[in-house]
Formats: sequence, C-alpha cells, structure tokens
Amino acid sequence: MANKIFDRDTLLDLTVNVVPLFIIGFFVVGFVVLAPFGIDPLASAIQFGLLAVPFVLLAVLTYFAGRAVAGAEHSSDVYLPGQASVRGAEPLEEFDDTPESLERDQTNAVEGETADDAADDH
Amino acid sequence: MQVNGQLALTVLMGIFLVAVAAWLARIENWRSYTPIGGGGALGQQEGYVSEEKPSGIIRWLTTVDHKDIGLLYGTYGLIAFVVGGLMVTVMRIELIDPGMSFISNQFYNSLLTSHGITMLFLFGTPIIAAFANYLVPLLIGADDMAFPRINAIAFWLLPPAALLIWAGFFPIPDLIPAQTAWTMYTPLSAGVGAGNQANAGVDLMLLGLHLSGVSATMGSINFIATIFTERGDDVSWANLDIFSWTILTQSGLILFAFPLLGSALVMLLFDRNFGTTFFAGEGGAMLWQHLFWFFGHPEVYILVLPPMGIVSYVLPRFSGRRLFGFKFVVYSTLAIGVLSFGVWAHHMFATGMDPRLRASFMAVSLAIAIPSAVKTFNWITTMWNGRVRLTTPMLFCIGFVSNFIIGGVTGVFLASIPVDLILHDTYYVVGHFHYVVMGAIAFAGFAGLYYWYPLYTGRMYQKTLGKAHFWLSMVGTNITFFAMILLGYGGMPRRYATYLPQFASLHQVATIGALILFVGQVIFVWNFVQSWLEGPTVDDGDPWDLRESGLYTAEWDWYDQKLQTAIADGGEEEDSVLTDGGDEEESVRTDGGDVDAADD
Ligand SMILES: [Cu+2]
Repeated sequence: MANKIFDRDTLLDLTVNVVPLFIIGFFVVGFVVLAPFGIDPLASAIQFGLLAVPFVLLAVLTYFAGRAVAGAEHSSDVYLPGQASVRGAEPLEEFDDTPESLERDQTNAVEGETADDAADDH
Repeated sequence: MQVNGQLALTVLMGIFLVAVAAWLARIENWRSYTPIGGGGALGQQEGYVSEEKPSGIIRWLTTVDHKDIGLLYGTYGLIAFVVGGLMVTVMRIELIDPGMSFISNQFYNSLLTSHGITMLFLFGTPIIAAFANYLVPLLIGADDMAFPRINAIAFWLLPPAALLIWAGFFPIPDLIPAQTAWTMYTPLSAGVGAGNQANAGVDLMLLGLHLSGVSATMGSINFIATIFTERGDDVSWANLDIFSWTILTQSGLILFAFPLLGSALVMLLFDRNFGTTFFAGEGGAMLWQHLFWFFGHPEVYILVLPPMGIVSYVLPRFSGRRLFGFKFVVYSTLAIGVLSFGVWAHHMFATGMDPRLRASFMAVSLAIAIPSAVKTFNWITTMWNGRVRLTTPMLFCIGFVSNFIIGGVTGVFLASIPVDLILHDTYYVVGHFHYVVMGAIAFAGFAGLYYWYPLYTGRMYQKTLGKAHFWLSMVGTNITFFAMILLGYGGMPRRYATYLPQFASLHQVATIGALILFVGQVIFVWNFVQSWLEGPTVDDGDPWDLRESGLYTAEWDWYDQKLQTAIADGGEEEDSVLTDGGDEEESVRTDGGDVDAADD
C-alpha cells in the first residue's frame, strides 16, 4: 500500500522537504564530528534536541501530507487546484485505477506547468 | 528528592488531564456536536446564511456571513494600515535631521512601538483574515465557515483590542503610550527602574494585544475546522488551492504560537501589577525573550505564508499557465510551518547564550531558507516564457517576488552567527524585515485587493491609478529600505529618535522614499474608495479572461453565478438555493451538469 502511494513521482515532489532535512542532518554530523564548543551533558543534549525535534517533526509532517495528497490523487478525480467546484469543470485526470492511467496521472501532475491541456472546453 | 516529587506531581497531573479528556470524549458525542446553533455538516442547508439580512448598520453588526465578516476584517485592516502608516510618516519626518526637532524622543518611542504593533497585529493578521474569510469558503466549496458565530466574535474582539493598544494616545489624564517597542523586552516592559513604563497605558496595550491574540486563535481554529471538514465533494487534498493550503498552515502556526504569547503577556501583566517575579530575577530577561520569540518567529510566517499563497494563486493567472511545481509549493509551505518553531533564538544570538544552542538555531535558520527559495524559483519559472499580462495585481506580484528576494537574501546573512553579531540591532535588520513586511507582505495584500476587487465590490478600480500606486510603492519601498540596509552597514543602531550627523544623508534618502510611499498610498486610498462608490460595474463573471487559458477558478464562478441570478434568474439550476432573495449564492456545486450556464 505504502509503495503504491509513495511512487517515484510523489517521492520526487517530496524531495523539496528532503533538502532542509539534509541541511539539518549535515549540521548534526558536523557538530558530532567537530564538536566545536566541547560536550556538556545539558547543553549538548539541548543542542542536538533542537536539531532532532524539527527534523523528526518535518519528516513526519511531510510523510502525512504526501500520503494525504497522493492518496487523494489516486482515489478521486484531480482538478486544477481551485477549479474543482467550478460548474462544468473538467478533471485534469479522471479517476481510473488501471495501471497505465495511474502512470500517466502522475507524470502529468508532476509537470504541472503544461497549461495547454487544462479545461479547454470553451 | 524534591525534583522527583515535582516530577511525580507533573506526571500525575498529566494523567489526570488525559483522563478528563477521555471522559469528556466518552460522554459527549463530538461527531454530532453542534457548537452554537447548529454547526452544519457538509451539504446541509443552514439557517443563518439563507435568512434575509437586515439592512443598514444592523446588518454589519449582526452578520455571521463569512463574506460580510471578510469585508469587516478588510475595512478594519485598512484603517489600521492608515493609522500605522501615518505614525511612521511622522517618525520619518522627525528623522530628516539628526537632533530632536519637532516631536519629543518619548513621543518617537511611542510611535515606534505603536507602528510595529499596529502593522503586525491590527493590519497584517486582520487583512489576511479578510482574504481568508471571504475566499476560503468560496474556493473550497463550503457553505460558510464551520463556526460562523465564532467567526463574528473573533472579528468583534478586534476593535476593542485596537482601542486598548492605542489608548495611551487618547487624551486621558495620566495615561501615556507604551514605549517598549513591539518586542516588549523586560525589564523595561516590566515597569521597573526609573523609567515611566510602569504607566497603565502599557498595561492597556498588553491587554489589547492579548485580546487580538484571542481573536486570531479563534479565527485559526475556525479555518482549520472549515478546511478539514467543509470542503466540497470534489475538493480533495490533491486539488485544494494554494491559498487555502497557506491559510491552513498559517492557522496551525497561530494555534501553537498565539496562546504562548497570551501566556507570556499574562505573566508580564502579573509581574507589573500583582508582584509576581517571573521576569524579575536572574535570567528573567532571557526567559521573556525565549517566550516572546517562540511566538515571534512563527508570527513572521503567520504573516508571510498567506501572502505567498496569494501570489502563488494570482501570479499564474496573469502568466497564462499553471503554477510551476504546485506540490513543491504546498510541501515547502508545510516545511516552513514546522521549521518556523525551531529557529526562534536567532533573534537572540547577541544575548550570550550557550554557543552550542546558538549553533543549532543557526543550522535550522539556514535550513528554513530553502523552502522560501524554492517558492521564489517556482514563481520565476511560472512566468518564464509565459504570456505575462502586466495588470496591476500582476505588477504587485512581480514586485513581491523582487522585494522578497532582497528581503530573503539579507535574512540568510542574518541567520549566520558571525554576521549577525556585527549587524545585530542595526538598521540592516530594520531594512531586511521591512523588505519582507512592506515590500512583500503588503504588496501581496495589494495584489489580492486589486485582483479580487470586482469580486467583493462588483466594480472595477481605476487602472491608471492602480499602476501609479504600484510604481510609487515599488520605488518608495526600495529607496527607503535599501537606504536602511546601507545605514546598517554603517553601524546606525535601530530604534533611536536621534543619530550622529554622519548618518544624515542616508536618513534623508530614507525619508524621501517614505514620502514617495506615502503619496502612493494616498492614491491607493483614493482609488479604492472612489472606485467602490463610482467605478464601472463589472457584469462579466470572468473579468480577467481566465477561461481562455483554462485558469478559471471557483470564486469567479461564484461571482458569475451571482451575476446571473441577479440579472435574469436562470430558474433551472438544479441545486442552488434561492431562499435569500437570490443575490448571495454559494451553494455547493457537486457536478458539472450545467456548463451551458457559464459562457457558451
Ligand atoms: Cu525569526
């Protein structure tokens, strides 16, 4: 199930949050290896706590947000954001669970910049 | 031993609270819980909106319609913007020459404090709430906010908050305005020592601030509930619009940040009035700064995320294409939301805190730059090779991106400890955050006000005046705040009413810029008010020609439907409700059955 939702394209979308995670991780390693200000039980615990807590919370929120968005993508019609409740709006991709169409869904959703195929019913 | 006792007590108290919560959850059926007079699940027809509205002033005093409340918030925010703007104009004129010339130093300090608090709490937060109230229910296909009456209460807490915050300026005997700056650092704000800040005017300001925080918290709970539970059938997480995403994130931030500000303010009030010593002893000043900035830094993102949402929403409409990397923007917004709680002590690098902690705050502060930068690249890429139409809202969006880059990049330098230790408490910091709050946040607000002007007024603004407003604002902003950045490099400390003669020319440049800004805003107010009263009516449901590029969205569709029902009542729209005289429609449109009603 998890693999179905977190396919390649969803993971690609989520890389945007992996970058700050990487930066925090980079500093954690740096502070461990270099320990520029020495180690003190209390201060060092807070020091790493201040890095670990945002890291964990960001990872968790990214996971759940990705699951909610990608899950909704796979289980209902996808409209252009803000267009779903417009009268007569046509979905960008209709919900259809054949494997090929899923494949196509995601490539299109990632390349959100191709505007030409959107709702050109007028 | 004693510590263990306290620990045990804390754990016991925790267990007790969880037990209470569990018990409450058992006896009350929360799923069918209707807060005040029937909360309304999705799709239900509700009483309040469909009733005929009273006319005149009573309508505005009693309204629970999200659109009316949005207009109230907007009016309130713009009045506060005028007040805060006039305050800073007086300050900038005082700063034309180095000495104390036409206002006293005390009055300068009072204006400085009130300008900050007014712009952040009485203009910034409410103007965002204005957009959110008006638009979010339309965009997500909801009937109204989840709790319409709480929505009204949240607004009506704000006028008394403003009166309390400004009370010191009113001619009341023995009452003086607060001179604490908006950060309210102790011990100055605790009223101790030889200064005059034990005055009741400071207490009233703190109470007013607390009230505005209560209002913001109530609003945020309402938005979270609305976006989670009131979305239309077709509005899934995958196609929720970007503005609603930013409002959702912002509401989460408010929910965690503002109650903390409230607690800290109550502690400060107790210190001032009831002899407690929260901020008195050793470390008291540090405690205040930690509490304040744990709120204060998220507050920055509370103010900037929805404007980013407005730009992400409006900019693609005039680029003739969809927002590039929509999901990058969504996820990076959420990332900012989380990380903004882990950076607060970058405002305290110069306090002498443990260098290990300082280093951690630097690391997270550098990491949080990434999501903002990602958005910037997305906006630029959206415009790249697009069919860009330089309408007034688009100009403000581009101005936003431009100013946000300068404001953001200067901020990245401040996040670095060694740079911050040099630039701390100089005009560089003032220039940096004004590029963000004026150059970006206010610009996005203007973009939104112009873009949706036909939506909420039914009329069109005067285009030439709009463009004049933009150019004067853009030029004024960059002259004023770039001069401040240079002043900071020169070592000019912030917050002072007077300065050394060597800073005179750059201060004069900044004042000229501020006056240019002032002229621009006068034009804006004129355009805004006059066009609302006399502007040409907009009879087109698609005033920005979005249909041809396939970028038409729900709020204009609502407007289109409103026009049609107002002009020639279509009569056959299956599921619209015509109970309120046919002019305030916002029924949930669950299918695309009546496309012919649109424009063909
Ligand atoms: Cu900050």
